[in-house]
Amino acid sequence: MERRGFLKAGTAGFASLMTGTGLLSWAPRAEAATINKTLYITAGTQTMPDGVSIYVKGFSDSSADLNVPATPIICQEGDTLQITIINRLAVTHNFVIGGLKAGDPPLVSSGDIAGGGSKTITYTIPTGKAGSYLFYDNKTSYNVFLGLHGGLAIMPAGSSNQLYSGSPTFVKQLFWVFNDIDPALNNAVQNGTAVPTSLTPRYFTINGQTSLPPGAVGFDDPTKDAMANPETQLAGSVGDRTLVRMLNAGMCSHAVHTHANHMEWLTDRGTVRPSVWKKDVLYLRNQLGKIDAIYPFEAPPDAYPPVTTGHFPMHLHDEMSQTAGGGLYLFGAMTDIVFK
Amino acid sequence: MSTNGNGNACYVYPGAPATPGFVTPDVLFQRGIYMNGSMTFDDGKSVTIWGFTDLAAGGGGGGGGDQMGGGSFPSPAIRVTEGQIVHTSLSVNMMWMHTIHHHGIEPSTENDGVGHLSWDVYNGTYTYQWRPQHAGTYFYHCHVNTPLHAEMGMYGALIVDPKPTPGDPAGTKRAFYNGPTYDVEAIWACDEIDPAWHTLPWYAGTCGGDVGLNNLNPRYFIITGVDGASSALTNPAVAVNMKLGQTLLVRYICAGFYPQKISFGGLIASVVASDGRPLPAAWNTGAIEAHSAERYDCIIKPTSTGIWTVSIQYLHWRTGAVLGTAKTRINVT
Ligand SMILES: [Cu+2]
Repeated sequence: MERRGFLKAGTAGFASLMTGTGLLSWAPRAEAATINKTLYITAGTQTMPDGVSIYVKGFSDSSADLNVPATPIICQEGDTLQITIINRLAVTHNFVIGGLKAGDPPLVSSGDIAGGGSKTITYTIPTGKAGSYLFYDNKTSYNVFLGLHGGLAIMPAGSSNQLYSGSPTFVKQLFWVFNDIDPALNNAVQNGTAVPTSLTPRYFTINGQTSLPPGAVGFDDPTKDAMANPETQLAGSVGDRTLVRMLNAGMCSHAVHTHANHMEWLTDRGTVRPSVWKKDVLYLRNQLGKIDAIYPFEAPPDAYPPVTTGHFPMHLHDEMSQTAGGGLYLFGAMTDIVFK
Repeated sequence: MSTNGNGNACYVYPGAPATPGFVTPDVLFQRGIYMNGSMTFDDGKSVTIWGFTDLAAGGGGGGGGDQMGGGSFPSPAIRVTEGQIVHTSLSVNMMWMHTIHHHGIEPSTENDGVGHLSWDVYNGTYTYQWRPQHAGTYFYHCHVNTPLHAEMGMYGALIVDPKPTPGDPAGTKRAFYNGPTYDVEAIWACDEIDPAWHTLPWYAGTCGGDVGLNNLNPRYFIITGVDGASSALTNPAVAVNMKLGQTLLVRYICAGFYPQKISFGGLIASVVASDGRPLPAAWNTGAIEAHSAERYDCIIKPTSTGIWTVSIQYLHWRTGAVLGTAKTRINVT
């Protein structure tokens, strides 16, 4: 039954898969606002770095787009979210904004959105909900893995540089949304066959892309290479403290490893840590795990002679995630850390 | 696309240039390569192991210049004092490429050992130059085709000792500057082994094709190169033998790719540092959940004599299922 929606999206002529819109600009408002947003559930294909074409679904910006992950939403405490979800596919989907902390109920759920139908959710954000959120489809246990997910940032009212009221401050912020893809799942959904009971991911993405090393087709192309995408890469000069909202939409837990600086670990699964640990690896849980951390952009401490510029990787240290299709090391969930 | 002399590798970046800003170091480690080591497990089976040799100790890879011999597993430790200018030279022949990434150490790009951002050492020697500023527990590993090379065993402990705290008697050992003291030290690098990966060539998968590097199915669960099925319970390089009244520092390194849970068998650990940084306040716990490459420095002061069995569970990254358990002991007399 997925075929019809797929063709419909195809005949709508969507030009290209949109990926990786992580970098956020934000100016706080004195007054609360109503954030109006329309998301279109669309489907299509994404080409993996080994050339394999994968069926994916997304919460997209228009019926002609396919956004995996969705374009992030940023708002502040007190705002009212008014989000209309239009299901352009033939099967039932839904839309959920997960709770702040592990175990919290969702902030809001649309309920079923029948094929071809739509729903509008309205949610006024109370004080105390500042933080990082995943929104997703939980109509099935696996819809989130197909690409139906995105990031939501709720800023403390009136703040432009804090994760939560009183948090350590930052200069910039971005999202790293991770996903793990087993084509057997995507193929089964596309073909309407039984979904596999055991999944073994073969592709690993950050904000919908993989890294592409020097020499690869698409290397350094920000529309293809997660190393080069300005909305994914950590780029700054010394002092450009950057908040990274790490959201795990995928099926595997991951070890997020930054080179050149330790991260200041602020939250785990929405709960503020009792104190700030400085870590070069953070344990990002699966099952919608979340971590907030600040990359401080201090001069790499152990360089001799001292340096303030350079290129370094952020990669997942569960190194299976650095491959594509069972090989192709360097074509996985990695981005560039650029000291400008 | 780059290839090695055999034409078998892709997306590798061979080089062995001079070190930028090269100075005379305070301490030098000379590492070579071995590509035909082995580890035998408690069930009698064995796998091929690769690693780094200590050239200063005459470890040329066992087979002279061809690097086709064996060596110690894990690779010989690198131990330095904070503030020292350190050189780690790596010599690699024309048969393969490797690097050294000093994990958790944060040097310049050229000295970080990440090939696609600098070079993969090939047909020569590169000297990594760095100056550690933070005492603590690190490890070093190869960063070429990393899922395979790290799984094959190309890692070793890297310990940065603090500068002496003024007033300390000679021989005082501290976890970090002005940090807790300890008498006995254990380095537990906990890793899982999938024998299927240990038959692959060094460049496996780099040009594409499915060689299974997305799919780790470990069968053996080891602690610092010793099988955790039973050998690690008594192996003197792993199991701790200490006297009542002494203080133990466990440097726990999650050296595998899957999440782990280490439990101290009923003892309470005071976790004083992680990833080479002191914690703002010590964390008292009986168990730690960690993921790949995390390190935790744990102070343990048993209050009675006895035998405690420490267990490390290795958890599947998707299902969370316990894939295996490694065990060792803390014996207090
Ligand atoms: Cu190597």
